[in-house]
Amino acid sequence: MWFPEWALEREVAPPGEPVVVIEGNPARVVAGSASILARGVEIGMLRRQAEALAPSVTVVERDRGEEARRFEQVVTALEKVVARVEASEPGLAFVPVEGALRYYGGEEPLVERVAEILPPGARLGVADGPWAARQAAGRAQEGRPFLVEDTPAFLADLEVSVLGPEELVETFRWLGVSTLGALAALPRSALASRFGAAGLDAHRLAAGEDRPVRPRVMGVEAAVESSHGGEPLVMADQVAFVARGLAARMLAALREQATAPYRVLVEVEAGDGTIRRRVWRSIDPFTEQTLTERVWWQMKAWMGTPGGVPGGVVRLRLDPSDLSGEGRQLPLLEQVGSTWQEVDEGRHDTDRALSRAQVLVGPDAVLRSVPQGGRMPHERVRWLPWGEAPPTSERSEPAPWPGQTPSPTPALVSSRPPLVEVEWDDGMPVRIRLGTRWEPVLTWSGPWRLVGRWWRGERVADRYQIVTSAGAVLCVVVEGRSYLAGVYD
Amino acid sequence: MALPDVAPQSMAGFDLESILTLRPGRITELDGAVGSGLTRLGLRFLAGPSTRSEVVAVDVKGWLSPMAAWEVGVEPGRLVVVRCPDPGMWTQVAGVLVEGVRALYAEVPAGVKEHDLRRLTALARARRAGVVLRPLGPELPAGIAHLRLRVVEVRWEGSERGHGRLTRRHLVMEATGKAVAGMRRRIEVVDDGSNVVRVVSRVGAGERGRAAG
Repeated sequence: MWFPEWALEREVAPPGEPVVVIEGNPARVVAGSASILARGVEIGMLRRQAEALAPSVTVVERDRGEEARRFEQVVTALEKVVARVEASEPGLAFVPVEGALRYYGGEEPLVERVAEILPPGARLGVADGPWAARQAAGRAQEGRPFLVEDTPAFLADLEVSVLGPEELVETFRWLGVSTLGALAALPRSALASRFGAAGLDAHRLAAGEDRPVRPRVMGVEAAVESSHGGEPLVMADQVAFVARGLAARMLAALREQATAPYRVLVEVEAGDGTIRRRVWRSIDPFTEQTLTERVWWQMKAWMGTPGGVPGGVVRLRLDPSDLSGEGRQLPLLEQVGSTWQEVDEGRHDTDRALSRAQVLVGPDAVLRSVPQGGRMPHERVRWLPWGEAPPTSERSEPAPWPGQTPSPTPALVSSRPPLVEVEWDDGMPVRIRLGTRWEPVLTWSGPWRLVGRWWRGERVADRYQIVTSAGAVLCVVVEGRSYLAGVYD
Repeated sequence: MALPDVAPQSMAGFDLESILTLRPGRITELDGAVGSGLTRLGLRFLAGPSTRSEVVAVDVKGWLSPMAAWEVGVEPGRLVVVRCPDPGMWTQVAGVLVEGVRALYAEVPAGVKEHDLRRLTALARARRAGVVLRPLGPELPAGIAHLRLRVVEVRWEGSERGHGRLTRRHLVMEATGKAVAGMRRRIEVVDDGSNVVRVVSRVGAGERGRAAG
């Protein structure tokens, strides 16, 4: 079930007038009324370009909380007809319909029943697997659901561009493979050896097989929960904060099993005993950040509706499923044929690669860094997990920082410098032990004294640049003990 | 300290700057002891690609400083450091990254199997990822690197028995591989701490050597 214009249907937007929705910094268009798109405005375009093309258009900022709140009503209504609805993002949901088909007596009666309860603008697609269903929904019209009887045959006629990554698609086209049918006819092993996992995924999807779900026997209890009976959580932000901790715990446990979830059940218990559940599905394995975001959306939706979570949240539970240790799903959400893919060419691949690296080594080992002020090299870098917005730095970089270690900066730096053996002769370094070898000192600079905030227990340190035949190092001497603070590698 | 005994001559037919440019689908190997200046040189390869997309450095020892990367011209917002201290996990992590990242600098822990390195090379070629490998153990097997840069000599200027400070490093390297047409060439790189690593072309030798890749 897909609402292509979900982001456009905002309460703040004047009814009947053309609207564009923007998001991000710099602000880019993420959705626009048909009349505006016809005037040349494109998804992914900068706000000022869009306003230049359509000066009278109403511009509204995207509000995912509000979108989630509206979408929650749709999902709740849908759950009265079919069970196990999985939200993917506001405006897109998947429903496993096997059981419902038997109950309603076929696809058509089921789809008719679903269409009755949905608000205007819904596109319904039925096919085997979420990816094929999303493609079917993309070809449906309002009031005319797209029912696929033979998924491989339906997919065979689709252009390879639906697979997403532009570079991969271009290569397929260059090889003369323009449809998914032609792609599926190629030997899978050949695609795997030429394109790696991306080729394998593309072939699997082209052949009508979604990413294989591998229910694993888990060595750990993967579900996590927290209780707040004494002090119920009454704000979505509070719940999201708790969810972040739970998500980190859950993903760490799953990582030990070399796996990650694509689907997570979010369950909350309200103060009056009401239990609410929602399943969220993600295109890529959930990360701490994406899972927290889903919980926040969900809480915004529940708490924003009458009778949502009476008495606040007293228990929060996250239960992962659809675990997989490999494979990625090509985009479910991308707008086929839009320029968004071109704008973000290559970015999806990078983001996925880094997400998968996070699954392997943990979110705290995939890091971004921002410059900040400081005197020692390690103080001048602020680390943050990849995917998180940089916080405001407490240390102003442009400030003078007298006594700062001069450039060039050591390329290898430790925030906890290890002890190093240095032999001194009348205050001058003579030999230094690097690894297992004693290296004679060829020359040196320093000492440069660093007087810290003694009232906070910071000790006086002398810094030396020591040059040996094996290279140069930055050495810090504190109370007669030498530490290796950096290597000029 | 004197320069090595190499006849000063130009490297006719070779653009020295282009040698130190990351090539899509190719592996560059930086071979030399820790402290010789190769981390900074390796990060310098990421400077160009960082103007267009995110670049990644795989840090095995946990010591890599992004400041050095910023100094050699890598866009601060575009550098992602992936720490991978577990040698058993390195192949998987490197493979995942090569699949999606345009430019990668990776320290290679000792003990990575040769066939894993060859598979990584094939993957980099298929994905057209530019990769710089810095082995922390033995050098890479033959046939992996398109360009191998091996440190011959490092000299520092500016420091004099307690006076001054380190200002400039001269790094003399031997370049081999297909990138230099299978010849063995010597180049000197001068790093003065700014965002420019000057490549000095006056040092060069046209000895014939074995191709590294």
